[in-house]
Parts: sequence; C-alpha cells; structure tokens
Amino acid sequence: MERRQVTGGDLVRYAIIFALLIFFLFPIYWMIATSFKAPGDILTRPPRWTFQPTLENYFYAFEQANFGLFIKNTLIVAVVSTAIVIVIGSLAAYSFARYDVGAGHLMFFILSTRMFPAIAVVIPYFVIFRDLGNTVIGQALSLGLDRLGALVVCYTMFNLPFGIWLMHSFFQDIPVELEDSARLDGYSRLQVLLRVVLPLVAPGLAVTAIFCLIFAWNEFLFAFMLTRAVARTITVGVASFWTQRGILWGPLSAAATVCVVPMLIFALLLQRYIVRGLTFGAVRG
Amino acid sequence: MASITLEKLWKKYGDVEAVRGISVDIVDGEFMSLLGPSGCGKSSTMRMIAGLEEITSGNIYFDGELINKVRPRDRNVAMAFETYALYPTLNVYENLAFPLRAARWSNADVDKRVQEIAGILEITDLLDRMPAHLSGGQQQLVGLARALTRAPRVFLMDEPISHLDTRQRGRMRAYLKRLHIELGHTMIYVTHDQEEAMALADRVAVMDQGLIRQVGTPDEIFHNPADRFVAGFIGEPPMNFLECEYSQEEGRHVLRHNSITIEMPPHSESWAQRGAIPQHVTLGIRPFYIDTGLEKSVRHTIPAEVFVVEPLGDMTVVSVNVLETRLQIVTEPDFRAQRKQSLWLAFDPARTLLFDAETGKALANQAWNQERAAGGTGDIKAS
Repeated sequence: MERRQVTGGDLVRYAIIFALLIFFLFPIYWMIATSFKAPGDILTRPPRWTFQPTLENYFYAFEQANFGLFIKNTLIVAVVSTAIVIVIGSLAAYSFARYDVGAGHLMFFILSTRMFPAIAVVIPYFVIFRDLGNTVIGQALSLGLDRLGALVVCYTMFNLPFGIWLMHSFFQDIPVELEDSARLDGYSRLQVLLRVVLPLVAPGLAVTAIFCLIFAWNEFLFAFMLTRAVARTITVGVASFWTQRGILWGPLSAAATVCVVPMLIFALLLQRYIVRGLTFGAVRG
Repeated sequence: MASITLEKLWKKYGDVEAVRGISVDIVDGEFMSLLGPSGCGKSSTMRMIAGLEEITSGNIYFDGELINKVRPRDRNVAMAFETYALYPTLNVYENLAFPLRAARWSNADVDKRVQEIAGILEITDLLDRMPAHLSGGQQQLVGLARALTRAPRVFLMDEPISHLDTRQRGRMRAYLKRLHIELGHTMIYVTHDQEEAMALADRVAVMDQGLIRQVGTPDEIFHNPADRFVAGFIGEPPMNFLECEYSQEEGRHVLRHNSITIEMPPHSESWAQRGAIPQHVTLGIRPFYIDTGLEKSVRHTIPAEVFVVEPLGDMTVVSVNVLETRLQIVTEPDFRAQRKQSLWLAFDPARTLLFDAETGKALANQAWNQERAAGGTGDIKAS
C-alpha cells in the first residue's frame, strides 16, 4: 500500500486525540506515581517529576490498614451479588421478553425501584439490617450490620432492575423462530432456554455482568453506612486514609491503584464480549 | 406420516379473530397449501397444528387422535421457517443433528442419518460450515434437511422460499415438489404466493379473514372459484370483473353492462330457468379468455379503449377501459396498440363466470354446486 501524505487535518486530529488522552489518563498516571513516592515527595511545589520510588505506601496500606481484607470483601460481595443478578435477572428478562409477564407494568414497577436516590433508602436499610442482625435468620445468612450478606442484598437490589432491562433487550433480539424450531425438534422450554437461547445471549450476559461488577466494586454509600471493620470494602477503605492527622496521600494512592487494576484487567480480557454485546442489536440487523 | 383433521378451529388474540372456525381434512401423504393474503390466518392455523399457538376452540386430530393438548415436542411435526431459523452457534452438521440429539440417538446413528439426509439434499460439503457463511438458498436447504432428519409425521412449511430470488425460487419449487413425491410426507405449505401454491399443492385451501373460502385442486380453484375473492386472488394478471344487470326479455336471458349486451355463460342456463340468478350480478373473465379485434364484428361486440400496453416478452398485457371499467387482456407477444385506440372485445362465453353482486358467491359454478350438495362444509362467508 502506498503511504498516504500526512495532511494538516491529520495533525489537528492527532493533536486533539493526544490532548484528550492526557486529560483522561493523567490523573491515573498521577495516582500511580504518587503511590510510589515517599511522603516528602508528594505535596511539593512545583510537583516533583523524578523521585526515588518506594513500596512503603503499599506496605502501609496492606499491613497497617488491612487492605487485603477489604479487597477480599469487595470481591466476595461483587461476585456473589453479580451472580445472583445474572441468574434471577436473566430468567426474569426472558419471561418478560417471551411471555410478556405483567404486560409491561411489572417491568415498569421494577424500573421504578431505581427512581429514587440511594441516600433515600440507606437509613431504612441501616435500621432493617441492625434489627435483622439480631435475629437467628439474620445471623445465619450474615445479614446484620458490618456483615457481607447485607451488602450482597443491597447490591443485588440495585443491580437487578438495571440487569433485567439490559438483558430484556438482548433476549428480545433473538428470533423467536429459533425457539419455535427447537421446541418442535423435541426440546422442553427449559432445554430450549439452556441450549439455544443462552449460547446466543451469552455476550449480553457478559456485558450485564461487567456493569454489575463495576457498580459493586465502586459502590461507596451503602458500604460506608452498613459496614465498620469486618465487612469493610475497598472504597470505604480508601476513604479511611482521610484521617484526623490529615490525608495520607501515599497509602491512599497505593490503595486506589490496587482498586483500579483488577477491573482494568477484567475489562481488557472481556473487551471482545463487551463490544459484541453493546452492538448486539445492530449487528443482527 | 399422518392425516390431519381440523375441526371448527378458532384462534383469537384478545379481540382479534385470526382464525374463525375453519374445518378441513388433509389426507395422509397429501401436499396441502394454505394460500391467502397476509393476515388471513394461514400462519396461525399452521402454528396451531405445530402446537406453537394455543387453540382458542375447536379440535385438531392426527390420524383421528385428538392432539389439542399434546406438547409441540411430542407431536413429531417438523417445520421449515420463512427465516430458516438455523441455530447460529452450531455448524450445519450439528444443526441437522439437533433434533436427533433431543431424541437421544447414539452418535453413530446420528452420523448415519445426518450423512444420509445431507446426501439427499446434496449439502454434504456444507456440513462443516456455520449458518452465517451460507447463502440464502443454502440456508433454506439446511433448514429443510433439519426438518427432515427425524422422519416427521407432518411436514410444515411457512413461506419457506419467499426470501429467495426469483431464479432460486423456481428451482426450489421444483425441488420441493420432487421431494414430496419421493418422500411422501404429509405436507402443509403456507404461502401468499398463488403461483407457488398452485404449482406445488395437491389441494389448495384459499383463506381470507380467518375463513377458508374454498378447498380444491389447483384446477378447481382456478376454473371454478367458489366466490369472487378466490376468483380475484388466483391468477396473474387477476380476473376481470364487470358489473352487469340480469334480465329476461321476451323469454331470453340477457346480461347488460349499461348499453352493452353480453352473452350469458351456457353453464348458467339451468340456474336462469330456475330463477336462481339475481338482478345484480358480477361477470368474471380471465384476461387470457378475452379476444381482441380491431373492427366490430359478429364476435367482437364489446367496445373498449386502450389505456396502456405492457409488453412482458412472453405475452403482452393490454389494459383497456370498457365504459368506466378497467379490464386487462392477455394478448400475443407482438400485439401493439396506441393509447386511446379503439378495440372490440369478445368474451368466450364458456369461460365467463357469474357471481352474485351482493354476496360475491359464484352462480352456476360447478364447485359451488358441490359445496351445496355437501351441505356447506367449507364455511363460505356471506358478506
């Protein structure tokens, strides 16, 4: 192929792209850089671009602030709540898409549970879980204050409407003739769902799962109100470096870096599915 | 293989009556076509036979056995879909094997059967391909092959070739007919294309507005339509209709279209003598049976004015105005005429049909007589 002449338009285009990249990526760079700085290198004026890197902040975050536990908690809560959302949500979405359960009213009701800000329900939830935690059932299911079960319930509640609506559109995109055909071919409705529908809707489920995971991973308000120490999650953990002695920028940056990395790797691994899932309807035509 | 009986079958979607009490018997091994315009209830009827739609009321029997409550997977019917409905995540081989796997065939048996069917439909070299990489015609073949792997009792086809281009459609049509002759399945074929229905079927059921207007062989449907709807729906270009007044003058039976006198069809004679012909009638004549002359003659007595001439190659279709009514005439391929040119037409009286202008029912029509004798099995709607 012949090399194309670089025009002025190209230069402008790349300049804009470069500027946008700087705008979006610089905070991340600065966070990572700060996480490797010694305390004396952090809040200097002018900012110090070269410094002696140190792992001191990471040691502080994991040993003093017990950040490993927070990561473990967050992982459990995020994965469990997402799994519940996918299982319940996909079945609900399928029945909405194929049987028109509730003639649209039920779907609207489900959406309506997202029409108030989280702050409006967090105090009632606090009271509910405080009392539930003192009952036998609450203790058995880990549903009290500062318990992981309580967060799983909250995140499931919040992700379920979103998940159902998203998956509903994915299910609707699957031609109903495929299911008719499989039913005539000798399969039960459940087998049709498992063998014909699910393989087709898998990219859509992956996309839904990613959104749910990201929400659970980044959620702050509920985790802040409902946990103290045992069930504390990473977002609250990061905020805890805001102490009476001042903001511990180094450990805070180290913790934040650790928070970002798993989601980044996860998104890169599933990128193929994300793109396929987001363009699902468009490609089918 | 099975015979199928539909008995006073109804399908309602809320207030919409899609199928309104149809009854028909389909003989074992017959190729029956359900023909009608979109929304006539033909697809609903087929889906009820398949078990994909619930029956509002009425009964369906396979070989005399009531199957209303039998689940689709237990009916052993196979269906080829308009959209082919191949499983996109499975290759052609697995698509063909899919119904067999449901029946828990062993891998060896599945392989034998898939190879056999693929051989019959000549798609053996496609077995490793994914459906997305096939052409429309190939996808249709695979869809048919999948429907055939199980040796179904009834083979249902829902407009299976309507998405193919004209040339492929012609090829597939001949192919389907051949397949039916060789395999002898009971086949039900839903289509809105009268050409397909006539070419393929042993018998055609013409449907409109949820009712069966007529069931008959392609010849019966074409030559002895039961009513004006069937007459107008079958045939291309469609049948011409001319509103006429019937009267008796000096002992003679006369048809008049305003000032024009038209000869009565000879087969209506006995009806006329019984006084069974109403005053307002519609005369129907197919474009093929109108003869044209440049001069008025003993035969050519109906004056007409050329509106437009369409040379189609195999024939020329001439549209003319007879007073206020537009008629289409099929003429020789080399026929040419000027716009507004005068022509004189002759209707072949043996080929004209009479319909009651109010009810649309055929008068003096052989099929209609049979219908009467049988006590009205086919729910002919009076509207």
